[in-house]
Amino acid sequence: MTESSRRGFFNPWFQVALSTALVTVSELCLKRGAMASIPATGTWGWTGIAGLTSPLVWLGILFVILSFISWLYVLKHLPLSVAFPASQAVHVLVPITSWLVLGELISPTRWCGIALVLVGLAVVAKPVAALEEKI
Amino acid sequence: MNVFSMMLILISLITFVIGQLVLKRAMELAGAIGLGKPKSVRTLTLGIVLMAISFFLTLGLLRNFDLSYLYPFQGLSVIIISLAAAVLLREKLTMPLFVGSALITVGVVLVSIS
Repeated sequence: MTESSRRGFFNPWFQVALSTALVTVSELCLKRGAMASIPATGTWGWTGIAGLTSPLVWLGILFVILSFISWLYVLKHLPLSVAFPASQAVHVLVPITSWLVLGELISPTRWCGIALVLVGLAVVAKPVAALEEKI
Repeated sequence: MNVFSMMLILISLITFVIGQLVLKRAMELAGAIGLGKPKSVRTLTLGIVLMAISFFLTLGLLRNFDLSYLYPFQGLSVIIISLAAAVLLREKLTMPLFVGSALITVGVVLVSIS
Protein backbone atom coordinates (compact mmCIF):
# COMPACT_ATOMS: atom_id res chain seq x y z
CA MET A 1 0.00 0.00 0.00
CA THR A 2 1.43 3.39 -0.97
CA GLU A 3 1.71 6.04 1.71
CA SER A 4 -0.90 8.47 0.42
CA SER A 5 -3.45 5.76 -0.36
CA ARG A 6 -3.95 5.18 3.36
CA ARG A 7 -7.60 5.59 4.12
CA GLY A 8 -9.64 7.48 6.68
CA PHE A 9 -7.90 8.86 9.74
CA PHE A 10 -4.42 7.85 8.57
CA ASN A 11 -4.70 9.46 5.14
CA PRO A 12 -2.00 12.21 5.11
CA TRP A 13 -4.39 14.65 3.41
CA PHE A 14 -6.94 14.14 6.15
CA GLN A 15 -4.14 14.91 8.63
CA VAL A 16 -3.26 18.16 6.78
CA ALA A 17 -6.91 19.20 7.19
CA LEU A 18 -7.00 17.99 10.81
CA SER A 19 -3.78 19.80 11.74
CA THR A 20 -5.05 23.02 10.13
CA ALA A 21 -8.43 22.73 11.87
CA LEU A 22 -6.71 22.10 15.22
CA VAL A 23 -4.56 25.24 14.79
CA THR A 24 -7.71 27.25 14.04
CA VAL A 25 -9.58 25.92 17.10
CA SER A 26 -6.51 26.54 19.29
CA GLU A 27 -6.24 30.17 18.08
CA LEU A 28 -9.90 30.74 18.99
CA CYS A 29 -9.39 29.16 22.44
CA LEU A 30 -6.23 31.21 23.05
CA LYS A 31 -7.94 34.46 22.03
CA ARG A 32 -11.01 33.77 24.23
CA GLY A 33 -8.76 32.63 27.09
CA ALA A 34 -6.42 35.62 26.77
CA MET A 35 -9.39 38.01 26.93
CA ALA A 36 -10.86 36.16 29.93
CA SER A 37 -7.55 36.37 31.82
CA ILE A 38 -7.15 40.16 31.48
CA PRO A 39 -8.34 40.72 35.13
CA ALA A 40 -5.48 38.45 36.33
CA THR A 41 -2.84 40.56 34.55
CA GLY A 42 -0.25 42.07 36.91
CA THR A 43 3.39 43.13 36.68
CA TRP A 44 4.17 40.26 34.32
CA GLY A 45 1.26 41.09 32.04
CA TRP A 46 3.46 41.63 28.99
CA THR A 47 4.63 38.00 29.05
CA GLY A 48 1.10 36.68 28.60
CA ILE A 49 1.83 34.28 31.49
CA ALA A 50 -1.41 35.34 33.22
CA GLY A 51 -3.20 33.56 30.39
CA LEU A 52 -2.39 30.30 32.17
CA THR A 53 -5.12 31.16 34.72
CA SER A 54 -7.69 30.50 31.99
CA PRO A 55 -8.76 26.89 31.27
CA LEU A 56 -9.38 27.95 27.65
CA VAL A 57 -5.67 28.80 27.27
CA TRP A 58 -4.75 25.29 28.48
CA LEU A 59 -7.25 23.85 26.01
CA GLY A 60 -5.60 25.99 23.30
CA ILE A 61 -2.17 24.63 24.29
CA LEU A 62 -3.52 21.06 24.12
CA PHE A 63 -4.84 21.69 20.59
CA VAL A 64 -1.46 23.19 19.53
CA ILE A 65 0.34 20.04 20.72
CA LEU A 66 -2.16 17.77 18.93
CA SER A 67 -1.78 19.79 15.72
CA PHE A 68 2.03 19.46 15.98
CA ILE A 69 1.80 15.65 16.28
CA SER A 70 -0.56 15.58 13.31
CA TRP A 71 1.86 17.82 11.38
CA LEU A 72 4.80 15.47 12.07
CA TYR A 73 2.70 12.65 10.61
CA VAL A 74 2.03 14.80 7.53
CA LEU A 75 5.77 15.49 7.12
CA LYS A 76 6.46 11.77 7.26
CA HIS A 77 4.19 11.10 4.30
CA LEU A 78 4.08 14.20 2.07
CA PRO A 79 6.71 16.45 0.43
CA LEU A 80 7.25 19.66 2.42
CA SER A 81 6.89 21.79 -0.72
CA VAL A 82 3.31 20.48 -1.06
CA ALA A 83 2.27 20.09 2.58
CA PHE A 84 3.41 23.51 3.81
CA PRO A 85 1.53 25.60 1.19
CA ALA A 86 -1.55 23.41 1.84
CA SER A 87 -1.30 24.13 5.59
CA GLN A 88 -1.64 27.85 4.80
CA ALA A 89 -5.40 27.27 4.56
CA VAL A 90 -5.14 28.33 8.19
CA HIS A 91 -4.90 31.95 6.94
CA VAL A 92 -8.36 31.52 5.44
CA LEU A 93 -9.89 29.58 8.36
CA VAL A 94 -8.68 31.84 11.19
CA PRO A 95 -10.06 35.16 9.83
CA ILE A 96 -13.35 33.55 8.77
CA THR A 97 -13.91 31.74 12.10
CA SER A 98 -12.86 34.94 13.96
CA TRP A 99 -15.55 36.71 11.97
CA LEU A 100 -18.22 34.02 12.57
CA VAL A 101 -17.41 33.06 16.18
CA LEU A 102 -15.76 36.14 17.69
CA GLY A 103 -17.59 38.76 15.64
CA GLU A 104 -14.33 40.36 14.41
CA LEU A 105 -14.49 42.43 11.25
CA ILE A 106 -12.76 41.52 7.98
CA SER A 107 -11.59 44.47 5.85
CA PRO A 108 -11.90 44.42 2.04
CA THR A 109 -8.10 44.03 1.71
CA ARG A 110 -8.26 41.00 4.01
CA TRP A 111 -11.07 39.44 1.92
CA CYS A 112 -8.80 39.94 -1.14
CA GLY A 113 -5.97 38.18 0.72
CA ILE A 114 -8.28 35.31 1.67
CA ALA A 115 -9.38 34.99 -1.97
CA LEU A 116 -5.73 34.95 -3.17
CA VAL A 117 -4.81 32.22 -0.65
CA LEU A 118 -7.79 30.15 -1.89
CA VAL A 119 -6.72 30.60 -5.54
CA GLY A 120 -3.16 29.64 -4.54
CA LEU A 121 -4.45 26.52 -2.76
CA ALA A 122 -6.43 25.54 -5.86
CA VAL A 123 -3.32 25.98 -8.05
CA VAL A 124 -1.24 23.91 -5.60
CA ALA A 125 -3.93 21.20 -5.59
CA LYS A 126 -3.26 20.49 -9.29
CA PRO A 127 0.30 19.17 -8.91
CA VAL A 128 -0.97 17.27 -5.88
CA ALA A 129 -3.48 15.43 -8.06
CA ALA A 130 -0.63 14.60 -10.46
CA LEU A 131 1.51 13.43 -7.53
CA GLU A 132 -1.27 11.09 -6.37
CA GLU A 133 -1.51 9.58 -9.87
CA LYS A 134 2.23 8.97 -10.00
CA ILE A 135 2.21 7.27 -6.60
CA MET B 1 12.72 49.73 13.20
CA ASN B 2 16.45 49.52 13.74
CA VAL B 3 19.12 47.13 12.48
CA PHE B 4 18.81 44.98 15.62
CA SER B 5 15.04 44.44 15.24
CA MET B 6 15.47 43.73 11.54
CA MET B 7 18.05 41.09 12.43
CA LEU B 8 15.71 39.52 15.02
CA ILE B 9 12.92 39.35 12.43
CA LEU B 10 15.33 37.74 9.95
CA ILE B 11 16.59 35.21 12.52
CA SER B 12 13.05 34.26 13.56
CA LEU B 13 12.16 33.70 9.90
CA ILE B 14 15.33 31.70 9.17
CA THR B 15 14.98 29.50 12.29
CA PHE B 16 11.32 28.82 11.35
CA VAL B 17 12.24 27.78 7.79
CA ILE B 18 15.23 25.65 8.85
CA GLY B 19 13.09 24.20 11.68
CA GLN B 20 10.47 22.96 9.19
CA LEU B 21 13.18 21.50 6.92
CA VAL B 22 14.84 19.73 9.88
CA LEU B 23 11.47 18.36 11.10
CA LYS B 24 10.80 17.03 7.61
CA ARG B 25 14.25 15.39 7.57
CA ALA B 26 13.60 13.93 11.04
CA MET B 27 10.35 12.32 9.89
CA GLU B 28 12.09 10.94 6.78
CA LEU B 29 14.68 9.39 9.08
CA ALA B 30 11.86 8.07 11.27
CA GLY B 31 10.39 6.37 8.23
CA ALA B 32 13.74 4.94 7.13
CA ILE B 33 15.43 3.83 10.36
CA GLY B 34 12.70 4.25 13.03
CA LEU B 35 11.74 7.13 15.32
CA GLY B 36 13.46 5.57 18.35
CA LYS B 37 16.97 5.66 16.81
CA PRO B 38 19.36 8.27 18.31
CA LYS B 39 19.85 9.97 14.93
CA SER B 40 16.07 10.45 14.48
CA VAL B 41 15.66 11.69 18.05
CA ARG B 42 18.57 14.15 17.66
CA THR B 43 17.18 15.55 14.40
CA LEU B 44 13.64 15.83 15.80
CA THR B 45 14.96 17.59 18.93
CA LEU B 46 16.98 20.03 16.79
CA GLY B 47 13.82 20.79 14.77
CA ILE B 48 11.76 21.42 17.91
CA VAL B 49 14.52 23.64 19.40
CA LEU B 50 14.69 25.71 16.19
CA MET B 51 10.88 26.12 16.16
CA ALA B 52 10.98 27.12 19.84
CA ILE B 53 13.68 29.76 19.18
CA SER B 54 11.58 31.18 16.33
CA PHE B 55 8.46 31.15 18.55
CA PHE B 56 10.07 33.06 21.44
CA LEU B 57 11.83 35.56 19.14
CA THR B 58 8.45 36.30 17.53
CA LEU B 59 6.84 36.60 20.97
CA GLY B 60 9.52 39.10 22.00
CA LEU B 61 9.14 41.06 18.75
CA LEU B 62 5.36 41.21 19.25
CA ARG B 63 5.99 43.32 22.35
CA ASN B 64 7.55 46.05 20.20
CA PHE B 65 5.75 45.70 16.90
CA ASP B 66 2.18 45.22 15.68
CA LEU B 67 1.16 41.73 14.60
CA SER B 68 0.14 43.21 11.25
CA TYR B 69 3.71 44.44 10.80
CA LEU B 70 5.42 41.17 11.76
CA TYR B 71 3.06 38.65 10.20
CA PRO B 72 3.80 39.42 6.52
CA PHE B 73 7.37 38.28 7.17
CA GLN B 74 5.95 34.91 8.29
CA GLY B 75 3.94 34.84 5.08
CA LEU B 76 7.20 34.91 3.13
CA SER B 77 8.06 31.55 4.71
CA VAL B 78 5.67 29.81 2.25
CA ILE B 79 7.66 30.64 -0.86
CA ILE B 80 11.02 30.28 0.93
CA ILE B 81 10.10 26.81 2.25
CA SER B 82 8.94 25.65 -1.20
CA LEU B 83 12.23 26.81 -2.77
CA ALA B 84 14.37 25.43 0.09
CA ALA B 85 12.57 22.06 -0.05
CA ALA B 86 13.30 21.88 -3.78
CA VAL B 87 16.99 22.79 -3.39
CA LEU B 88 17.92 21.14 -0.08
CA LEU B 89 15.52 18.19 0.14
CA ARG B 90 15.49 17.65 -3.65
CA GLU B 91 11.70 17.74 -3.79
CA LYS B 92 10.18 18.25 -7.22
CA LEU B 93 9.03 21.86 -7.58
CA THR B 94 6.59 22.04 -10.49
CA MET B 95 5.46 25.31 -12.09
CA PRO B 96 1.90 25.13 -10.64
CA LEU B 97 3.36 24.41 -7.20
CA PHE B 98 5.64 27.44 -7.47
CA VAL B 99 2.88 29.73 -8.79
CA GLY B 100 0.44 28.47 -6.13
CA SER B 101 2.98 29.07 -3.35
CA ALA B 102 3.64 32.59 -4.68
CA LEU B 103 -0.13 33.36 -4.73
CA ILE B 104 -0.53 32.02 -1.18
CA THR B 105 2.44 34.16 -0.06
CA VAL B 106 0.86 37.32 -1.48
CA GLY B 107 -2.52 36.31 -0.01
CA VAL B 108 -1.07 35.77 3.48
CA VAL B 109 0.73 39.12 3.32
CA LEU B 110 -2.56 40.83 2.33
CA VAL B 111 -4.50 39.05 5.09
CA SER B 112 -1.89 40.19 7.61
CA ILE B 113 -1.39 43.84 6.68
CA SER B 114 -5.07 44.77 6.52
